[in-house]
Amino acid sequence: MMISVLIGRVLPRGVLGHGVMLVLSFLSLFPLYWMVVSSLRPANAMFETSLWPSAATWANYRYTLNAIPVAQMLVNTLVVATAVTLVQLCTAVLGAFAFTRWRFRGQGLAYALVALTWLVPLQVVMIPNFLLVADLGLLDSVTALILPHFASALAVLMTTQAMRSFPRELIDAALVDGAGNWRLLWQVIVPNLRGTLASLAILIFISTWNEYFWPLLLSRTPENTMIQIGIQMFMTQEGNQWGPLMAASTMASMPILALYVVLQRQVIQSFMKSGLR
Amino acid sequence: MSGSIRIGRANRLAGALPWLYLLPVVLPLIVWVYEPLGEAAWLSFFEWDMLPDTAKRFVGWANYRNLLALPKLWKAVGNTVIYMLGLLPFSVVIPFAIAIYTQDLPARFRNIYRVLIFVPMIVAPVVAAAVWRWLLDPAHGLVNRLLIGAGFEPVRFLTDPHVAIWTIIFITGWKLIGFATLIAAAANAAINPSLIEAAKLDGAGPWAIIRRVRLPLLSSTAMLLVTMSLLLGAQWSFAYINALTEGGPLGATINIYYLLWDFGFSSGAVGWSASSAVLLFVAFALLAMGLIRLSDRLSFHDD
Repeated sequence: MMISVLIGRVLPRGVLGHGVMLVLSFLSLFPLYWMVVSSLRPANAMFETSLWPSAATWANYRYTLNAIPVAQMLVNTLVVATAVTLVQLCTAVLGAFAFTRWRFRGQGLAYALVALTWLVPLQVVMIPNFLLVADLGLLDSVTALILPHFASALAVLMTTQAMRSFPRELIDAALVDGAGNWRLLWQVIVPNLRGTLASLAILIFISTWNEYFWPLLLSRTPENTMIQIGIQMFMTQEGNQWGPLMAASTMASMPILALYVVLQRQVIQSFMKSGLR
Repeated sequence: MSGSIRIGRANRLAGALPWLYLLPVVLPLIVWVYEPLGEAAWLSFFEWDMLPDTAKRFVGWANYRNLLALPKLWKAVGNTVIYMLGLLPFSVVIPFAIAIYTQDLPARFRNIYRVLIFVPMIVAPVVAAAVWRWLLDPAHGLVNRLLIGAGFEPVRFLTDPHVAIWTIIFITGWKLIGFATLIAAAANAAINPSLIEAAKLDGAGPWAIIRRVRLPLLSSTAMLLVTMSLLLGAQWSFAYINALTEGGPLGATINIYYLLWDFGFSSGAVGWSASSAVLLFVAFALLAMGLIRLSDRLSFHDD
C-alpha cells in the first residue's frame, strides 16, 4: 500500500486505476488470444513466441476435424443446450405460477425442496443417477444428457421472484375478463416476463453448453458426446498436440464467444442477477 | 345434493391444481436429486462393484469405519480446505480491492473493462484447462519460456507436488476474478453517495471512509461471495483436477469431490464412494447452515 501511495503522489490516481484494469483485462483475454494464435501456427513453428504466426495455417483445424467428429459434437451440444433451455424455462414458468398464484398445503415444503437442491453436490448423487440411466438403457446417449436437467432450482427461484412482483391488478383484470389459469399464465403473465426469461435462457444455455461433469460420467463414444468432453478425450489421447488441441478449444468456444460479442450486456446482466452459481 | 357434490369435487380439483403445475418441477428433482440422495445413503452400507450380476453385500458401518481410517481421505479433506481458502483472494479480496480502487474511472471506460474482464466466466472449464496446460507446459509453454528468458528456473506447474494445487487454484480463480470484481463494483456503486459526503464533512480521510463506511456497507455482498466460494470452490476445481492432474502428483491435488469420483468410477468401489458421498453431504450441509447463519448476523443494511 505504501508503494501505491508513493506512486500516487507522482502519477494521477486515474492512471493507476486504468493500469489495474488493463492488467486484469490482459490476464482475462490473453490466454484466449494465445489459444487462437496457437491454433493457427504450423506444426514446425508451434514453439514460436511471436504474437502472430509468421505463416498462419488452417492445418490444425483440418487435423482436428479428421481426428474427432467435431461437427457432430457441436450439433449434440447445440441440441442438448437448446432442449435443456426450453424445457427448463417451461417447467420454471409452471412451477413459479403455482408458487405465486395460490397458497396451498405443502407449499413451504415444495419451495424448500426446490431451494435446497443446490445443497446436494452432483458428485454425491452420481452413482445412483448413473445406475438409473443404465437401467433405462440410455448410457452413452444424447437423451440422457438432457433428462436430469428438466427442472432447475435457479430457474424456478428466479422466475418465482419475477412473478411475485407482477402487478396484482393485471391478474385480477384478466380473471374478471373470464381468463382461466392457463390463459392467464401464458397470455398475460409470460409475455410480461420476457426480460427475466431471456436472461434465464442465456444463463441456462451457456452453462449447459459448458457443462462438464454429467457428460463426463455418461459418454463413451465421441459421436454421442458434447464438445467439452470431446476436448477432454482429445487431451487424454493426444495431450501434447498443442496446435490441434488449441484448434479444438477454439471451435468449442466460438459459439459462446460469438453470442457474447452480440449480447454482451445481457449476458453480463444475466450472470450478475443469478449471483455466482 | 348433486350441487354440493360438484362443489366438493371442484374444491378437491382446485386443491390439486397447484400440484399439477408443480409436478414438472418437483418430479425431476425427486427423481434426480432426492431419491438418489437416499439411494446413496442406502448403498453406503453395502459392498458392491457396480456390476449388475454381482450381489450387494451388506456390511453395516464398515465402509464408514474403513473410510475414516484412510489417510487418503484426510489428505483430500485437507486439500479441500486449501482449495476453499485459496480461492478467497480471487473471489473476494482482490475483487473488492479493485472495485474500490477503480471506482472513479469514467463510466465509458468502466463499461469497456467490464466486458473484457467478464470473458473467462463464460469460457468452458475444459477449454480453460487446455489453454492453461499449454501456457504452463514445462518445456515449451509461454510462461516458462518467459521465466527462462528472465533467468529463472522453469516451474513444473502441474507436476511439482508443491506447486500443482496452487496452479489449479489459480486457474479456478482466473475464471472467477473478473466476475467477482463486477459483483463487488456493483455493490460498491450502490452505496448511497450522501453517506460518503456526510463522512467527508465529519472530517474522515479516504482510508477512514473505506474502513468505516464502505466496508461495513459491502459486508453482505462480501459475505455472499465468501459463502459461494467456500461452498462451491472445491466443486469448481473438479474439472481442472480431472483434466490436468487427475489428483496427482502423489495425491497433491486430490480433493474430496475428486476422491468420490475416483472411488466410484475408477476403483468401482460403490460402497466407499457412497459413504464418502454421505459424509460430504452432511459436512457440506452443516457448513452451509453455519455460513448462512453467519451472513445473517454480519450483514448490514443502509436503510
